[in-house]
Amino acid sequence: MKLDPGERFPDLDLPDHTGRPRLLSEVAGGDPVALVFSRGWWCPKEQRHLREVTALQDEFEVAYTRIVVVSIDTPEVQAAFRAGLGARFVFLSDAQRQWLPRLDLLEETDTVHRPYRPAAFTLFPDLTIHAAYDGYWYWGRPTVEDLRQDMRAISRDVRDDFQR
Amino acid sequence: MGDLPKGAAQLAFDGRELYAASTPGRSFMVDARCLQGAPVRGAYAHVCALTDEVAVLEFDQPEVQQVRRDALAWWIPLLGDALVCLTTLALDESRYGGAITVAREPVSWIDDPFARLFPGTVLRTDLFCDVLPPPGPVLERYAGVAWPGGRF
Repeated sequence: MKLDPGERFPDLDLPDHTGRPRLLSEVAGGDPVALVFSRGWWCPKEQRHLREVTALQDEFEVAYTRIVVVSIDTPEVQAAFRAGLGARFVFLSDAQRQWLPRLDLLEETDTVHRPYRPAAFTLFPDLTIHAAYDGYWYWGRPTVEDLRQDMRAISRDVRDDFQR
Repeated sequence: MGDLPKGAAQLAFDGRELYAASTPGRSFMVDARCLQGAPVRGAYAHVCALTDEVAVLEFDQPEVQQVRRDALAWWIPLLGDALVCLTTLALDESRYGGAITVAREPVSWIDDPFARLFPGTVLRTDLFCDVLPPPGPVLERYAGVAWPGGRF
């Protein structure tokens, strides 16, 4: 599956951190989205990166934009990790590896957990990909400034009254 | 209360009961999705609102923002499968009159963050339906609709 800018991201159907079934399009709710694929709670790089993303939620909460994290952790584990981070955004659980092979995002060097390869996408409200980031090497991940710039670019495009 | 914005519905509270109408009692706007599906019979509603018209806060006041953060961070996860839906109670585009959390079974209402703003009353109701909780982190309201309802 091609996950390049301009392609439409698949409408993931996965349980959230409370176990409720969700659709990515429903979670987006008509707003731009920062979609983060994470190895899982155990990885120090994921812990660090998600603390960074969590710090940005104070801006997302007032800016009509969404944050979504996907990992192979179970909903119960995600709920605990989310609470530990102090996150107020949604985690989607692909514990059954329902989407991982279809997205071709397997982290091949971790044969124990078979997790997602760290990756991030910024999406238009209709799930069209604005930018794609490969975070296998930590510095490939979007910084908070990258995410700010992407949300600005998407919002400028989809909000008719963004600039007069 | 004039024309309702898209995504809003009217609800009245007289201190003892809720009504899917503008009377009797005090009238509020709620997230319309909470009233649009198959109702959960005999649900428990925790109404954190008063009938007194002076019980008003601005949605943008820090304490009203913070209880929404608390709802996203831990109130919704704490309720788990018991949660039916929740909605804030809007008086107009900017003023907050309270909130309602609806559960299919009795829960620890003492933990309800919205009760920090206005005291809660527990009652049984057949008005509300299941609505997926807000995914967060958005706290802002969409075109004046009671949080977490509405969209652009």
